[in-house]
Amino acid sequence: MDKGFKLDKGTIVLNRKMTELDLFVKDFLSIIEKHSKYLIVSGFVSIASGRTRGTEDVDMLLPIMGKTSFSNLFKELISGGFWCLQGDTSDEVYSYIKDFHNIRFARANEVFPNMEVIPIDKMRKTKWFEFEHPQRMRVETFEFDVPQLEFEILYKESILKGEKDLADAKHLRTFFKAILKEEKFKEFKPIIELESR
Amino acid sequence: MKKQIDYVKLFAEKLREDNKYFAQQKLLIDSQIIASRTLLHNAFSPDFKKSARDYLRKRGILNKLD
Repeated sequence: MDKGFKLDKGTIVLNRKMTELDLFVKDFLSIIEKHSKYLIVSGFVSIASGRTRGTEDVDMLLPIMGKTSFSNLFKELISGGFWCLQGDTSDEVYSYIKDFHNIRFARANEVFPNMEVIPIDKMRKTKWFEFEHPQRMRVETFEFDVPQLEFEILYKESILKGEKDLADAKHLRTFFKAILKEEKFKEFKPIIELESR
Repeated sequence: MKKQIDYVKLFAEKLREDNKYFAQQKLLIDSQIIASRTLLHNAFSPDFKKSARDYLRKRGILNKLD
């Protein structure tokens, strides 16, 4: 009998096999990582950690980038087998990004799951802090960055507060009980409260 | 009577101690994705992108910029 997770040099290693959802996110991130840092947030953090519920999208923070850089990323995503739900050209889709509107990508000829890309910059203080303080996770050969667990839990409990979010937070609090640190909850609380003002 | 949140806690406790419980979670996630892939591919053919975008707008998932 193996435990659900272990820590390996600061990385949380989940003792499970990859799912179809992991494979989708892994393929998407293999392209994103060549162009930018990112942070996977919200539902996928709980689902990756074993929460048993379905999802249609995976949320990802991405720092806003210039038009040319975005065009290069967009072209590689399209040639890599994804399509953008908002539009078929980089110019068209960049008009969303530059105004901080979320955009979504799915695999070609599919709709769900899709990656919801949330553009951020330093002015979004809470999200930027979250982005700058990642926690590494691993499932088999798939490694990815998520928020600090205490941050993710507080964000779901204090900002999102929906039934699904509270259940996600409960799952994370219970599953990761042994490694959660009270001082981190205290540190992150005022930062998260900035977003609710 | 137990609430749903109690079951979430119970499952997380079991999963924490024994990773065999991940197997049923994988089953649920994989079956949802595979079913949706087939269903929507058939529903949105032959003009997949247009039909998909119309559907997503109706559901409020996709908003056009002004």
